[in-house]
Order: sequence, then C-alpha cells, then structure tokens
Amino acid sequence: MAKTSKKGVKNYTSPVFTRRMYYFLIPALAFFLIFWIYPVLQLFYYSVTDFNGINYDFDFVGMKNYARVLSNGTLTNSMKNTLIYAVMTVCISNIIGLAVAMILNTKIKMKGLFRTCAYFPALFSAIVVGFIWSYVYMPGAGMIANLITMVGGDGAAFNPLGNYKTALFAIAMVEIWKGFGTTMIIYLAGLQTVDESLLEAASIDGCTQWQQIKWVKLPLISSTITINVILSVISGLKAFDYSFIMTNGGPGKSTKTLMFQVYETAFTDQKMGRASAFSVLAFAFIILITVLMLLYMNKKEVEL
Amino acid sequence: MKWNKAVSMLCAAAMTLSMLTGCGAGGGNDEPAEAAGADEEVSAEAKAPADIYDHEAIENAGDITLTMMVSGTAYENDFETEQLPNLVKEKWPNVTLEVTKLPDDNYYTSLKTKLASGECPDIILTQPMYAGQNSCYSMAEAGYLTPLNDLDAVEGRQDLSSVTYKGDIVTLTNSISILGCYYNKDLFAQAGITAEPQSWDEFLEDCKKLQDAGIQPIVMGDKDQYVLQFGLYQLAANEIYSKNPDYDTQLRTGDTSFTDEGTWDTVLEMYKTLYDNNYIDASQSLGYGASQAITDFIDGKAAMTFDGSFNATALTAEGAAGAFERGYFPIPGKEGVYTATCLGAGYSIYSGSDYVDECKELLDYWMDGKSDVWKAYLSTGRTIATYGEGADSTPNYDLFKPFIDLLNEGKGFYWCNQAWPAGTETEMEALFSEMVGGQGTTVEDITQGMQDKFEDLLDD
Repeated sequence: MAKTSKKGVKNYTSPVFTRRMYYFLIPALAFFLIFWIYPVLQLFYYSVTDFNGINYDFDFVGMKNYARVLSNGTLTNSMKNTLIYAVMTVCISNIIGLAVAMILNTKIKMKGLFRTCAYFPALFSAIVVGFIWSYVYMPGAGMIANLITMVGGDGAAFNPLGNYKTALFAIAMVEIWKGFGTTMIIYLAGLQTVDESLLEAASIDGCTQWQQIKWVKLPLISSTITINVILSVISGLKAFDYSFIMTNGGPGKSTKTLMFQVYETAFTDQKMGRASAFSVLAFAFIILITVLMLLYMNKKEVEL
Repeated sequence: MKWNKAVSMLCAAAMTLSMLTGCGAGGGNDEPAEAAGADEEVSAEAKAPADIYDHEAIENAGDITLTMMVSGTAYENDFETEQLPNLVKEKWPNVTLEVTKLPDDNYYTSLKTKLASGECPDIILTQPMYAGQNSCYSMAEAGYLTPLNDLDAVEGRQDLSSVTYKGDIVTLTNSISILGCYYNKDLFAQAGITAEPQSWDEFLEDCKKLQDAGIQPIVMGDKDQYVLQFGLYQLAANEIYSKNPDYDTQLRTGDTSFTDEGTWDTVLEMYKTLYDNNYIDASQSLGYGASQAITDFIDGKAAMTFDGSFNATALTAEGAAGAFERGYFPIPGKEGVYTATCLGAGYSIYSGSDYVDECKELLDYWMDGKSDVWKAYLSTGRTIATYGEGADSTPNYDLFKPFIDLLNEGKGFYWCNQAWPAGTETEMEALFSEMVGGQGTTVEDITQGMQDKFEDLLDD
C-alpha cells in the first residue's frame, strides 16, 4: 500500500511489505544486471569495433559498422523478409488460434482430446519440426508431393522450399503449424472468462452467433487478443529457426531474416562488430514495431 | 524514493563497470603474443626450427593432464574421446589425456570463449588457411598457436603451405579431403558410356547420353547451398589455379579480381551449362537437401553427384538400387584434369599451454606413421593419409587413388574458400542460386558480388 508522507513522497511500505523485503530484490536484480543488462551493453560496445570474434586486439571504428549495414542492402532484404514473415504468422496463427479456441470452447465431445491434439505441435522443438517439414515439403518423394501424385497431380513439380516465390511462405506455415496451439490456449483461457449470463442476455435480445462473437466475446477478450498479437509480433520479428534449419536462408537470399542475417554476419562472415551493429538496429526495429503495436492495440481495447 | 535512487545508482554502476570491462577486453591482450606485421607474406615456406623441443618432456614431467578439444560427433569407441586417451595412457602411464568433442557450432563457441578467457585446451582442432571459424591463419594471427616447425612429423614435408603462417607451421595435419564426381557405373554402361571423361566436352557429351537414355545425369542438394562449392571448386582448379596458382594471393594484393575475364566468369558459365541443359534439374535441386541428394544417388535415381571424400561412406552405402558399382573422378576442365584436393583439419597447440613440449612429443608419436595411435587413427576410415603405414588400406582407397596421384603430380589445388575471407563463398552460392533459380542474376553479377564481398570482408 502506498502512503504519502508529509513531503508528498509516496512510501511503498506497509506492515506486511516492510523495507526489509526490498533486500530480496537483490539476487534477481543482480542476475538481471549480469546476464541481461551487461551483455546488452557489451553488444553496443562491440558494435563500434572491428572485433571478429577471435582476435581481442580489435580497434574502434566509430559508426562504420552501422553505415555498412545500412548501405550494403542486407538490412533492407532481411527486414523485408522478416516483415512478410511476421505479418503472415501474426495474422494466420491468431485467426486459426481464435477459431479453434472458439470451437473447442463449445460443448462438444472429446474436446479435451482435441485441445491436446491442437497443442501437440507446440511440444516439439523447432529442430525436430524443421526436419519433419523438410521431408513433408520434399519435392517428388515428400508427403505432400506423394499426396498430389496420388490424386493425379504432378507431385514432382511441388517444390515450395526451392521456389523463390514460395519459400518464405512455406517456412512461415511451419511456424504457424507449430505455434497456433499456444495462441489457442491463451484465447481459450480468455474465452472462459466471458460471463455466460452476458451471452444468454445477448441471445434473449435476438443476437445471432456471429453477433455474439462480434459484439460480446471479442470485446470481452480484447486484452487476450492484445497479448496474443504482441507475442506473435515479437516471435515473428525474431524469426530464425526455420530459415536456419529448413532453407539456410535460401534459395538465394529469399528467406534470410533479420536474426538469420545477424547470425551469418557474426559466425560465417566473422564480423562480430558488424553483427552487433546489426543486432542493435534489429533491436531498435523490433522495439519500435512492438511499442507501436502495443499503443494501437491498447487504444483499440479502450474503444471496445 | 531512497530505494529507487539506490537501484538507479546500482544500475548506473553496473553499466559503468560493464563499459570499463568492455574497454579492457580490447586493450588487455597481453596473452598470447601480438600479431606480426600485416605486410608480411601470410603463407610462406616453413622456417627452420630455431630450437628443438625436449623429446623427453613427457617422461620428465611427472603426472600430468593434457587437454584436447575437437569438433565432431562422438561415436561408440570413438577415436578421439576413447581410443586416443587409452593409447596415450598405455604409452605414458603418467599422462592423462582429457578430450572434449563437441558438435561444430558448440565447438566454435566454446573455443572462442576459452581463448578469450585464457583457458584454452592444450591441443585444439584447426582448419587450414582461412577456412572456418577455427582457421589456423586467423588464430595464428591472434597469436594463439605454437609454431610446430621442430616436430619430427613435419620434417621434409612440402605439402604444408596451407597450414604455414608467416613461416611457421601452426597445424599438424596428415589427411586430405577430395572433391570429385561420384558416378553409378551401371547407369553409365546403360547409357553406353565406357570410360570416365577426360575433358569438359566429353563430360557434357556423357551428360547428354545419360539424358537421352532417360537417366537424370546429376543430382545435387542445392537447398544446402554449400554443395555448390563441390562442383565449382573443381572447375576452378581446372580453369583458374592450374593457370595461376597464386590467383588468390593476388586477389588480396589487388593484382587479380573475381571479375577478371577467363577466371570465375568461365567457371560459373561452365557450371551454369549443367543447369541450362537440365543435367542438374534446378527446379528440383533447389528444394533438395544434401542428404536427400545422396539418397537419390544411392537409390539409382541419378547417375552422378558432386561430393567430397568425407561423404564416401554415405555415397557407397547400399540403397534402393542395391550394391551397384561406384566410381569417382575429378570433373575435367577444358584443357586437362586437375583436382580440388586439400589438406584436412589438423591439430594445433595453444601458445598459452603449460605443456607445449609434452604436446609436441604426443603429436610426434601420434603422427609418426607407425605407432599404435597412428594405426588406430587410420582405422577409423575417416582419414585419407598421404604417408605412413596403412595409408593405402583406407576404406575406399581405390576411389581416391586417382586424386592422390594427381596431387602427387602437382595437379592438386586447395579449396577456394580456404584462401578467401569466410563469407565470400556464401555470397557466391546465394547469387548462383538466384541465377539458376531464374531471378535474373547474371554471371557478371556474381563475379561482381564476390569481388564486393571479398573487399568488404577484408576492409576491416
């Protein structure tokens, strides 16, 4: 409980939460400073050096790394790929997650089993999922190619990972497949907080199912939507796993995302300084997008 | 308020400390030694050893523990992690060899961390020239590697230039890695091909014969873009290095360029021909991984694949097509046959080790060409040795023999990326994929892209 002293300063203590309790913050704060703040500051530091990851006899190069990242086209390409990937994963995984959550929130038989099945892909690691889907997408002998052949199509021509126009969408679909279960669980939790009496009242007032969703359920779970969308945006903008496992950034540079480019600059090109500059810019970009999204979504929540 | 202030001050202190520590990391490079002058020749003939190491260092050392770190996957009865420590213990009961074997990425991360903290193992695995994140040139430049010029195992060897940095041999390696073209002899016979091609034109004719016979000539897993190197480096050996062995050295001095006519443009154009004629089906290969291409080859779905000696076991395994006979030849060039055969990874001694002479004695024993350790090392089948007892009993030796002969005739050249700053080859691969994937990229775009990347990477 916050009390206000005579000088107008709030005193955040109470008989239960005494000043002594603040000592318990120290371990967590120490870990936070050592394992988060310190490495982040190191990142800023390395971003103005020509450190190659091996030789610690490096020099300061000022803003050269930033200038190079901005001028050599890698940032533009990877940012474009990342945005496409993020928009796809955010939209589709939220739509599917919400739809499945609504279905599984109704009184149907074996809904526990269906909920488990929907969440099941989220239990696998990205490595496993990436390898499985590499074979699902494999041209000629892959699962989808075989299905196409079975129904009389040309399975050999099905090559989503080898095609410049489809590779990014193909890996985004894998992310959606793996991630929609988590989104669904959060929506399900939100939907279960919707008061049945409100739905009943809406029904008595003559609302159709769609009107109930639009005017009752969605406004009441708006904070859940915000959480899910923001989490998906952050996850989408940090995309790395499937570009790395399934396409290695290819074909060409068509699936190189921001994080993949950071990895490649640091560990293939051995330009740790430049990769740090790239990370700083990517960090700023992700923060900017997330904050803007959060402000927009919060505003929408209030309007609803 | 006081607490807020205290927390703020703590944060500020931590930030200041981190900045100071960071600054210290750059300046405090007192161990190991400073790099030599940048204008000196990087690779040169090995210097004569100034001192001879103590050949009885281990015997006089008492009980010691030597540490070693290598990359790879440990198998059952693994050589490095199990056999080697046991054999060393048998030879020298006072020595305990502790070996850590890590997957590649973990190895690189761990190596960098240990080097930075001055806690590097005594013996480490390094790659020739500038290849990989554990390249011996980068590490020697940073002063992390001990010169090995006084080892008995390097005496008289003339093939170590790619592990010699400014006159010092810094990596001891005895194995070679080969790039070539694996082929299915049954499918060749089916298409009426009776001999291995000896020129580029013959090679193209053979591809045409196979295609006309309804056989896919070549399968490649271009989704793993690094496999593009398997064909391109062979053609580079034929068309570039055979004419100018110093091409890459001159790239660094600016005397040559990737955009020079008759060099990489020729190589890329030749390789592109295979895609233009559908001898390699780009519409499929760009979606195929390297392992899927190997599977197709052993299943008899394609007559050839470009790959390395390191994948010989997988490529000679029995697949759906049964135990058909396989051959292995270097892709021929327009004016002769050369081979892209290079020294493999080897072992270096950390310059900050407390047991430099002991490690040298151990390496000398291991690589003497006859010891029990040597025999166990060769029996793994993962090493193609160029000397010593049992070198000719390496599994698949018959496949590799023509390449070793070419190497001995002076017709072998290292893999291009070993001489380039890491990252040049990934630019080449990405742009080549764009070209064969129909993105409008031209050969000129690729050579220009390679040159730009090369200069960019060397710029710092």
